[in-house]
Amino acid sequence: MEDDYFSSDDDYQCSDQESMEDFEEPDFKLVTAKGPTTQVITKESLLVAQKEDLRKVMDMLSVREHHARTLLIYHRWDVEKLFSVYVDRGKAFLFAEAGVTVDEHRASDSSLSSSIMCDICMEDVPSDESTRMDCGHCFCNNCWTEHFIVKINEGQSKRIRCMAHKCNAICDEAVVRTLVSKKQPDMAEKFERFLLESYIEDNKRVKWCPSTPHCGNAIRIEDDQLCEVECSCGLQFCFSCLSEAHSPCSCLMWELWAKKCRDESETVNWMTVHTKPCPKCHKPVEKNGGCNLVSCICGQAFCWHCGGATGREHTWTSIANHSCGRYKEDQEKKSERAKRDLYRYMHYHNRYKAHTDSFKLESKLKETIQEKVAISEGKDSKVRDYSWVNNGLGRLFRSRRILSYSYAFAFYMFGDELFKDEMTEKEREIKQHLFEDQQQQLESNVERLSKILEEPFDQFADSKIMEIRMQVINASVIIDNLCQKMYECIENDLLGCLQLGTHSIAPYKSKGIERASELQVCWTNKANDTGGTEEVDRPSGSGSSDESGYPSRKRARKDDIGVGLFDLNLPAAEVVDRN
Amino acid sequence: MQASRARLFKEYKEVQREKAVDPDIQLVCDDSNIFKWTALIKGPSETPYEGGVFQLAFAVPEQYPLQPPQVRFLTKIFHPNVHFKTGEICLDILKNAWSPAWTLQSVCRAIIALMAHPEPDSPLNCDSGNLLRSGDVRGFQSMARMYTRLAAMPKKG
Repeated sequence: MEDDYFSSDDDYQCSDQESMEDFEEPDFKLVTAKGPTTQVITKESLLVAQKEDLRKVMDMLSVREHHARTLLIYHRWDVEKLFSVYVDRGKAFLFAEAGVTVDEHRASDSSLSSSIMCDICMEDVPSDESTRMDCGHCFCNNCWTEHFIVKINEGQSKRIRCMAHKCNAICDEAVVRTLVSKKQPDMAEKFERFLLESYIEDNKRVKWCPSTPHCGNAIRIEDDQLCEVECSCGLQFCFSCLSEAHSPCSCLMWELWAKKCRDESETVNWMTVHTKPCPKCHKPVEKNGGCNLVSCICGQAFCWHCGGATGREHTWTSIANHSCGRYKEDQEKKSERAKRDLYRYMHYHNRYKAHTDSFKLESKLKETIQEKVAISEGKDSKVRDYSWVNNGLGRLFRSRRILSYSYAFAFYMFGDELFKDEMTEKEREIKQHLFEDQQQQLESNVERLSKILEEPFDQFADSKIMEIRMQVINASVIIDNLCQKMYECIENDLLGCLQLGTHSIAPYKSKGIERASELQVCWTNKANDTGGTEEVDRPSGSGSSDESGYPSRKRARKDDIGVGLFDLNLPAAEVVDRN
Repeated sequence: MQASRARLFKEYKEVQREKAVDPDIQLVCDDSNIFKWTALIKGPSETPYEGGVFQLAFAVPEQYPLQPPQVRFLTKIFHPNVHFKTGEICLDILKNAWSPAWTLQSVCRAIIALMAHPEPDSPLNCDSGNLLRSGDVRGFQSMARMYTRLAAMPKKG
């Protein structure tokens, strides 16, 4: 039975593999043969995304949609886990655990008296004004409605239990919907939204895009490994920690590094060790030599040891209680260390910053290059294809980023903060050399590529252009390989042999961070296949989502990007096609 | 608001009718406010609370019965799940396990049951909880009995 589920999985996958394979440069190694593993879920396609999983469960267990949803919410939308519970523990256990009762009582309920006594309001109510849940408990509609509203307000929409004591059953969402919408339509909408968003919030495979202001999208990944992804709003982020894409840094390293850069903690650190506040004007004072009777530029003299104010006429020997030789020794060691740490940090930070800055400058280069391409294409020349320019540029941007993050990585990999006890001094030295050699090679090739791309090729003759083309392609291929090697080195030789800390990095993607595909398209195909078997719990057409009865507010987002602009992470061929 | 009032009124009538049925519980509604109730419950037999009469105060929320009433002991009691100073009660049905099917009367019954079966693992009164958890049942019982005698029994003489 599991086979069914897995094989049908392929149907759901939407792929723009075709466009990826149009990649023009034959020299480029196609590393990712697999289709896209990430998908964008927009407000509009959220319903669809949910339905996919619901359908799997509905087909498998032959239950109705709201039962499938209750089961899935209980298992945090982990279909595989749900099925494994089903296989291991059986249907009865699976249902009872999640609070699902399937129509046992409804059928046996033959006592159709004209009125019932509601145990909540203790009133006799006509039986057509009462509702019996699947669990068999019957209360009046008023009490149910009030109960639902209270629970929705408490944020428990996903698991509204029956009102009876110790009844674990989850209320039928259709009943909730109908009863609540009669009294408070806005509350029913809220309920609906909570149910829908549960798919994102309770699902480890789906996360909201962290963009601010929020683009409204969520991203779903196929396998729950570490990866970096680009939302259709253009934001690239690490799926694991939701901050900017930072490989080859691990999430922890990046978090520490970002924090360090933010609060310049090293500077503060250095200042606390090297300076003392003047007791009068409170400016930090650095001692630049001489004895420990220090005078601030404001004229105040004070003792460097205890920071207390002294008079100018006081000589060092005449101040009492200053026999702190041992204290001074510690202080020196401390200041030595702080200085070393700061220099080390500065070393890595400067390089990190340099590459980040170049990246920003080169982003401007993009425009001038586009112009050059336009000019060249306008010329009557034999060279028709300029996709290599964009390819090269993409490679340059991508590797610049990797380079800059690699410095943050090195700072922690070979520093004391994280892995002090993981390696001996000697091991660390060897590994550091290994890494730095690779980094250096990559760096020089990136600079070379940058230089070639700045050539005014629009003014060159055809033969010269072809020469530059070859140079760009060669450099790109070399850089791609070097990046690949660096990631492998980090994964296998550096992080791979750590004992204590578990650090992992997102795998290297030759084509840049994967852009999540829109879910919309696949569903339309899928729905056409299986449409018609749908249960009518809710208006949900089998055509495109515009007919699904769900508010459809398509934004122009899709068109904003890509067209006319160069996108680092699109295969260059595609961009050129559009132009 | 209207629903809670109606329901409390029903409960009131029910209480009047059942007075004889359960002599251990005496539920009284405040004369001027139907959302304020007090109850006198008898300490269950074969417990250190036997012979004591304990007073409970109920504050019923407007959302009742969808939300639980707030109940606390007015009489001092030495019990792991009752706060020694405030009388606050740690009982699941008064918190997350509340069901609207409960009534004030049944809450009283649940509290009597709690007196007979303390849950030392979720203590509000740590001293009392620790006595039980360390297995000093005698110590616990004598403390509880002492406080019952001091606070929950009519003064003799």
